[in-house]
Amino acid sequence: MSHPRRSRPVRVLAHASVAPRIMAEFNRRQFLSVAAALGGVGLLSACGGDGDGNGATPGADATGRATGGELESQLSIYTWGDYDSPDVLERFTEELGPEIRLDSFNSNEEMIAKLVAARGTSGYDIVVPTGQFIPQMVENDLLEPLNKDLIPNLEHMDEAFLSMAWDPENQWSICKAWGTTGFVYDNTVITRELKTWNDFLDAAQNEASGRTSVLDDPAELTGLYFWANGIDWTTEDEGDLQAAEDFLVGELAPHIAAFDSYPGGSAIPQGTHALMQVWNGDARIGIMESPDPDRWTWVLGAPVTQLWMDNWCIAKGAPNIEAAHAFINFVLAPEQVIDQVDYIGYHTGAKDVESMAEEAGLEMLDLVFFTPEQIETMKEGEVNSAQQRIVDIWNKMKAAAGA
Amino acid sequence: MSAQAGAVELTGVTKRFGDAVAVDRLDLRIEPGEFIALLGPSGCGKTTTLRMIAGFEQPDEGEIRISGESVAGVPPHKRHVNTVFQNYALFPHMNVAENVAYGLQQTRTPKAEIRERVAEALDMVQMRAFADRKPSQMSGGQQQRVALARALVNRPSVLLLDEPLGALDRQLREEMQIELKLLQSRVGTTFVFVTHDQHEALSMGDRIAIMRGGKIEQLDTAAAVYAQPASAFVAGFVGQQNFLAGTARTDGVIESGPIRLRSERAGQHVAPGPVRAAIRPEYVSLAPVADLTAGAGHGTENTVVGRLASIAHLGETMQYVVEVDTGHETTSLLSRIPTPAAPNVHVDDEVVASWTPGCILVFSDPNAGPAIPPDLTTVPSTTPAHPPR
Amino acid sequence: MRAPRFLLAIPAWAWLAAFFVLPVATVVYFSFGYKPGIFGTHATDVLSLDRYREALSPTFFTTFTNTLRVGVLGTLLCLVIGIPMAYWMAVKVSPGKRAFLLALVIVPFWTNFLVRTIGWQVILAPEGWLSGMLQALGLRENPLAILYTRSAVLLGVVYNYLPLMILPLFVAFDRVGPAMREASKDLGANRWRTFTRVTLPMARPGIIAGILLVFIPLMGDYITATVLGGARGNMVGQLVASQFQAAQNWALGSAMAVLLIIVIAVTVLVGAAIAYVVTWPLSRARRLRLADLEGLPEKVR
Repeated sequence: MSHPRRSRPVRVLAHASVAPRIMAEFNRRQFLSVAAALGGVGLLSACGGDGDGNGATPGADATGRATGGELESQLSIYTWGDYDSPDVLERFTEELGPEIRLDSFNSNEEMIAKLVAARGTSGYDIVVPTGQFIPQMVENDLLEPLNKDLIPNLEHMDEAFLSMAWDPENQWSICKAWGTTGFVYDNTVITRELKTWNDFLDAAQNEASGRTSVLDDPAELTGLYFWANGIDWTTEDEGDLQAAEDFLVGELAPHIAAFDSYPGGSAIPQGTHALMQVWNGDARIGIMESPDPDRWTWVLGAPVTQLWMDNWCIAKGAPNIEAAHAFINFVLAPEQVIDQVDYIGYHTGAKDVESMAEEAGLEMLDLVFFTPEQIETMKEGEVNSAQQRIVDIWNKMKAAAGA
Repeated sequence: MSAQAGAVELTGVTKRFGDAVAVDRLDLRIEPGEFIALLGPSGCGKTTTLRMIAGFEQPDEGEIRISGESVAGVPPHKRHVNTVFQNYALFPHMNVAENVAYGLQQTRTPKAEIRERVAEALDMVQMRAFADRKPSQMSGGQQQRVALARALVNRPSVLLLDEPLGALDRQLREEMQIELKLLQSRVGTTFVFVTHDQHEALSMGDRIAIMRGGKIEQLDTAAAVYAQPASAFVAGFVGQQNFLAGTARTDGVIESGPIRLRSERAGQHVAPGPVRAAIRPEYVSLAPVADLTAGAGHGTENTVVGRLASIAHLGETMQYVVEVDTGHETTSLLSRIPTPAAPNVHVDDEVVASWTPGCILVFSDPNAGPAIPPDLTTVPSTTPAHPPR
Repeated sequence: MRAPRFLLAIPAWAWLAAFFVLPVATVVYFSFGYKPGIFGTHATDVLSLDRYREALSPTFFTTFTNTLRVGVLGTLLCLVIGIPMAYWMAVKVSPGKRAFLLALVIVPFWTNFLVRTIGWQVILAPEGWLSGMLQALGLRENPLAILYTRSAVLLGVVYNYLPLMILPLFVAFDRVGPAMREASKDLGANRWRTFTRVTLPMARPGIIAGILLVFIPLMGDYITATVLGGARGNMVGQLVASQFQAAQNWALGSAMAVLLIIVIAVTVLVGAAIAYVVTWPLSRARRLRLADLEGLPEKVR
């Protein structure tokens, strides 16, 4: 499953009204998002190794190699493009010493392919996979177990974002940031109030026909149908999948104008579409950058939507394993959290982060923080045997929409 | 009109490129069926003149008439004139027959006639057997013939040839000179031939126009240009000359250092004052100093004693360089004598050089025209008597 | 005496060999394999043609048809715009200005491909500045509705690929040289006939190189089309990538990639055959062989 990167505001949090649009849009949001689509090229070049999942049974050593010894002089982080506040990274080096080297990937698959090919010699210390990819990485022996004794700041994390399905004991991962899916509509075009995914699908086939965009991601598309129809979106049932295909390809596709994972980059500010499926952080940027923010209405997907989470993990064979633990512990500290939230525009999973953000005066926090009741409706995704099927549905839908 | 067909007339034609004047108020009338050679050093305006006749350049001033009609504003493809280009400019993507047919196809000539005329034109240059070849599969001489056929097949009023033999080796060039001349007399087309090679011009042109600085210095037959050059420039450019700068006395004798010249050339008037005398090497004869008759030697008119500096065998002639000491410097005299009549002299011998008084050309404008020295570099370097410089 | 003209195309061919043939061999091998389990990407211990059967789906052909339309139209547009432009630069422009113009053609390449394309997205958006300007000037009543249409796809294609067409064409036209054009005019051909019978045929290697340089990468490119065409810019390259990325099925992705290569090669061959058939009557009419001259009397004079 491809989870292209969410958008992260730059200084626009503080200067939304004056943000010079065009260049700001290129450098970190859309640019990277479309670059994500190029990932296949990088994948091919990295495919020297054998991708078969035949790793040894992992997890025998629960505490890992890290002992809390002296920090190494360097730290190598392999993460999504532009996904950490530079201030936080600088402070880490100033306070604890190790120089940070950053490298970025555009998709989980690209990152996994690289780690598989390197077989523990990638030289990366920290990697940031999305949750549903963690079981695959564990099975392929691509991760080091965390030594939680060395991460005391774990206590500042909100329990709600620990012990996720893919890693119930946080043996391999700790939440780095999380987000969800909803939609944004132009209330000058769609004058009725939309509340649910069913409303979304109805509007897409009526007043927003030909002016609707959906996320360019297979699971988000089948998810759209499953969430609207009360079906578990990780279903592997062929009947469910066929129903999703019939609807998406046969009914919805002709109304779709674009498959756009980052409408916040230009579609919302430029008024390109009337109705857009969108990730919360991206929606926030788009609305803040719009010359007419009141025109746009954000709706969290309902009755059910997804929860995606990116996680701090340590790569197998990490050469700077002590520094890696020190870094994870460092970013979890309350002093760093607000800088991270401000920079990336997503919840980091820390306790009390919402009140801290309010104090700091950040805008449009209803698109960053959600009530426990809302969070209750968010379901994690899964990489399972339906993967090939949903990719095929995605491709069929695109073919049908483009014909 | 028909009497004019093939005539080319240029009246007061001027062409400038930026500040440089390439052709300067040029007047030239070429008669129908004439073979005229435009001869001159590079930059003299001869190629520009040709390109204006072809239509590739437009004159800034003056008028060009072809077959009696003004061609002002007429583009090249509408002029009844064809050109044989310096590097042939054959179309590499067409075979020989298609190259030759190209011009006829432009005038929508019927196919049967095209075939006939292409065959005829190729026969004319003995290239029919090569009809299927591409230009890249032929030698320079063969390409040359095809280029000729390609131009002549259109039966132009005037054929322009821009240094067409320049890329050929010497032997082939001489053969082609004869062939071109024969061909021209056979087809009767006006040929305008541009060259910087005086031999080519002399051997082919009915008349030769010697150009310099965008003007024609002299326009006349080969014999006249050779024997009666209108200027020191022409004298030096056509054939070779020994130029001697000196002063003419009131009695007509010219003093040039120790050398005394007296011209007895018919019609030659020598005004007193600074002059330049010219003697062709073929008129200078040599004899061993032992043969010196009484009264000859320094101070004797039209005779001088010098040291034989080099001997070169040029085949049918021998070439000698005699150095004459003029007191403060050395003057070289070039002499060419038919091999059978070669005198018995050796390098470093003292020799007597003498010349016929009737052959001395005297130009009263010593500053006019470049002093073109005897071209010693043409001496074959293999000659042991004359080591390479 | 003159270097064969195909020398010009050698760098292009070497480029294709090193960066096309080698990776393709790997991909062909993978295409006979399969996807082992949910978390595996490819295995080649059992080889079969099954992936090809899966790849030959209606989706593939629908998407390929769309891609082919963009590829053919885009290449033709580049050709139609590139020929006069390259001709003008090679023939009409003074050498000093020529260097400047060539630089202008190349300068967009200094910017990232994606950024350039997204630049057009911003320009063409309904509330983008072009739309705003047209409306302010009274040239349009409604916002510009070109983004996410096929026209926008072609605009992006021309913008991104035109230099790849112009450069080989420029070199080819430049190589023809003024002497050939003068010879043609001297033989009675006007400008148009000179262009069609001498300049264009002599520039043929450059034209072929330009067409291949534009068409082949264009068939694999889905960025340009997706960014500007949205749903209308659905390209087969995206389909292949989706197998490698989202489905993590490298075997099926490889099979699709191989099929794509085959169909592109077939398309190029069909295109060449069409070009040959179309121009055949013309070249036939002008052809003149030794055999045609046989039987004509030899006139020796």
